[in-house]
Amino acid sequence: MGLVARVVEESGIPTVSVSTGRDITALVRPPRSVFVNFPMGNTFGRPRDREMQTRILRDALGLAATAPEPGVLVDLPYVWPEPFEYFAGETTPEALAKQLKK
Amino acid sequence: MDPIRYVEALNNKYGSMGFPPYQWSVNEDAPWTPMTKPLAECTVALLVSGGISHCSAVPFDANARNDHRVDAIDVDTPLDQYQIHDSYYDHTDAGRDLNCLFPLDRLKELAADGEIGGVARRHWSGFMGRTYNRSKVINESGPAFAQSLHDDGVDLLVAIPA
Repeated sequence: MGLVARVVEESGIPTVSVSTGRDITALVRPPRSVFVNFPMGNTFGRPRDREMQTRILRDALGLAATAPEPGVLVDLPYVWPEPFEYFAGETTPEALAKQLKK
Repeated sequence: MDPIRYVEALNNKYGSMGFPPYQWSVNEDAPWTPMTKPLAECTVALLVSGGISHCSAVPFDANARNDHRVDAIDVDTPLDQYQIHDSYYDHTDAGRDLNCLFPLDRLKELAADGEIGGVARRHWSGFMGRTYNRSKVINESGPAFAQSLHDDGVDLLVAIPA
């Protein structure tokens, strides 16, 4: 996804990425990024939490308007209320066999 | 809480599945197109990589690799008409309210309030990751996608990896 953002930026359209994977984003280095330390899939918070969803979206748009230099990565201050872990996904033998075929 | 180290976690997962070693993109710098308009005049589009498709379309392959598919999401179609197929993140919450991951309704509200100039007529779901053939993104699927944004008069893209 960061790679796509870079291609779009090179084509002449500014981009801002909203990431929950800080290390990946730091490596790929899209033009502008905000990092949200929330579980992947909850980039903008919880269901129906319109206030938080809007806040994070507004933060991303704000960075687009103000970012001083290419590759900027801004850590947003929001804290997920409980610990969370890497989501391992489907690990049944059937799911793994399906993935191996690709 | 420290950020999850996804590079390490995903390398382990891919290895356990027999995938070839994944060479992560490492860039020392980034391309740059300056913003030439204030936000209040910008048409904004969203792109999300979380396996979101319209219920009438073929679902995304939840375990996709090298999938360059990208679907348009019409701005006027209600978000409850979309489904999620992606085995690489927990989309329980996004299934209840897509705005957790793809905040199109919130973007429309910002446009209605005048904070942004407008909402693009098409938004986008695709580029699901596990992309081993990255030159295809750089040379084919990426530029084709960028052209769609130019066709729609998009001034700013918000990219949401998942």
